Amino acid sequence: MTEPTAAGDTAPRRTHPSTVLVQVLRSVPVVLGAALVLGLQVTGGEGLPSGVGVGLAVLGGLLLVAAITAVSAVAGYLSWSRRVYWFDSSGDLRVDSGVLTRQQRRLALSRLQSVDVNQPLIARLVGMAELRVEVAGAGDSRVVLQYLTESEAQALRDQVLARAAGLRPDTGTAPQNVLVSVPTKDLVVSLLLSSTTVVGVLATATVVTVAVLTEGAFGLIALLISGGVPIFAAFGQFVRFFGFTVAESPDGLRLRSGLTTTRTQTVPPGRVHAIEYEQPWLWRSRGWVRVQLTIAGAPDGSGGQESPQAAGVLLPVAPREVAEAVVDRVLPGVATGRLEWQPAPERARWRAPIQHRLLGVAADDQVVAVRRGRLVRRLAMVPHARMQSVHLTQGPWQRRLSLATLRIDVAPGPVTVLGLHQDAATARRLVDEQATRAKQARASAGPDRWMAGQHLVDPIPEE
Amino acid sequence: MTAVDGVFAPPSEAWVRVSPRLITARRLVLALTLGPVVIAAVVLAALLSAPAWVVGLVAVAGLAVAGWAWWLIGRRVRSYGYCERADDLLVTSGILFRRLVIVPYGRMQLVDVTAGPIDRSLGITTVQLHTAAATSDAAIPGLPPDEAAVLRDRLAAVGEQRSAGL
Repeated sequence: MTEPTAAGDTAPRRTHPSTVLVQVLRSVPVVLGAALVLGLQVTGGEGLPSGVGVGLAVLGGLLLVAAITAVSAVAGYLSWSRRVYWFDSSGDLRVDSGVLTRQQRRLALSRLQSVDVNQPLIARLVGMAELRVEVAGAGDSRVVLQYLTESEAQALRDQVLARAAGLRPDTGTAPQNVLVSVPTKDLVVSLLLSSTTVVGVLATATVVTVAVLTEGAFGLIALLISGGVPIFAAFGQFVRFFGFTVAESPDGLRLRSGLTTTRTQTVPPGRVHAIEYEQPWLWRSRGWVRVQLTIAGAPDGSGGQESPQAAGVLLPVAPREVAEAVVDRVLPGVATGRLEWQPAPERARWRAPIQHRLLGVAADDQVVAVRRGRLVRRLAMVPHARMQSVHLTQGPWQRRLSLATLRIDVAPGPVTVLGLHQDAATARRLVDEQATRAKQARASAGPDRWMAGQHLVDPIPEE
Repeated sequence: MTAVDGVFAPPSEAWVRVSPRLITARRLVLALTLGPVVIAAVVLAALLSAPAWVVGLVAVAGLAVAGWAWWLIGRRVRSYGYCERADDLLVTSGILFRRLVIVPYGRMQLVDVTAGPIDRSLGITTVQLHTAAATSDAAIPGLPPDEAAVLRDRLAAVGEQRSAGL
């Protein structure tokens, strides 16, 4: 991977000095909260102490908060001053960081999976943003640059994308046009009708009923505790997906969302490993679907990382046709409607009585698709070139019925691709065919640098 | 039965089976884990001054379970098989829950060769292929070390040739 210096190496730079301030500000509510709880513990233990006691406690608390803040500010300053980033002569992004333990990280931009510009609330108030660059990798394979001014962050993002695409780094922002924005009303209604909310509400109702039956009116307190869960879950999603927009640019798809923390994610072309349409049963009458997305390197939803790519959502809610139009941009030329489905045989009802009619597997020259689920209908698609391996499994009961399940293994993410309970012989044939198709697709896969070889601006020659 | 077996049949030639020493290794592990449990149960029953037939029943039940597991290990190990093709590796295993996985060489990220103390003393190792998918799980246990090393190097070499990014 030695490329000419046309890529242009840059001098090492630090992030914006106000990083320290923003980081300290972000930690203040936590520290204050902790101090408050601690203070209440100390003073509350012996009943209400005298005025002098309260004064001392408050003073001590404030001193403690100040001390913690000062320490974190110093630590923040040290770590900020030791963190530099630049592009090296081969055009890769380098980040050196660490105070006691030094870390040098080099991101091979030809393996770029996504670039995000995120703005947590406090950073947003002072006009700062963080840049998150993700390359393919199983574990920690990203770099987070906190914080840059908004314009710096965007310029850096454009540079990363241009270099990754194989264009000159000073190409500038790619033009974008908005494909979809999710109306707030639809988002709210969809969240209220989502399975998690409905299940949460039902669970709450059960808990409260039981509590009232056993404890009398006193049991209504349970409502306060358990009633919060579905509300928080739905509200969390609302805050995250508020104002969701999908825009298209030559750099790939731009996903933008967030009420307090705004996030802009860019998914370059050809990075999509799997896609899934998801339809909870209450959405069916409205024809809504949610689209999930798996990108290599992005953590799965179970991780603690609070980022939209963690949830891997391409569209939180949209009418089916709109969703298909967006999916068409990431998987061009895939006609979901024209796939020839191989349904599960009738005898699959003995194994899957509820969903057997909805099970199916299909493949065309570009993707392999599976569908399943009764209450939440799912349709997942994987481009042949992105398949990692393929499984055929058969349990004892399936064996009696001469059924087998095939599974397409893809990079970790929200999408699981299961072709459940197909006729055993058909499943084996599909698995073998799939291995062949994946091989052909890999051979003809596009370049990592998606603009390389095109006639645009001065492409950087690959190797 | 033949039609069903055909579902997990080898692609062309026969499966390459793993070393029967894996049976010994797994039975040894079984004896070391289940053995003390059975003995403890019998001793406990005796100490609680249970009637002799109860003690006998416990012993028989324990032995029956151990025997069944003993027999199952043999079948299960014999069910392991792999097959190298031009572009991919096939691995199969399982009796009750059967499994066949096809891993294209171009998708391999790394190959692990591991051997625990019991495995080492018996001269067997496990070769495991990893792809970018966490679920790929193509492990071939019970390979003689030299065979494992050859397989590993061969896989790494083809993987390199056919590597296709992600």
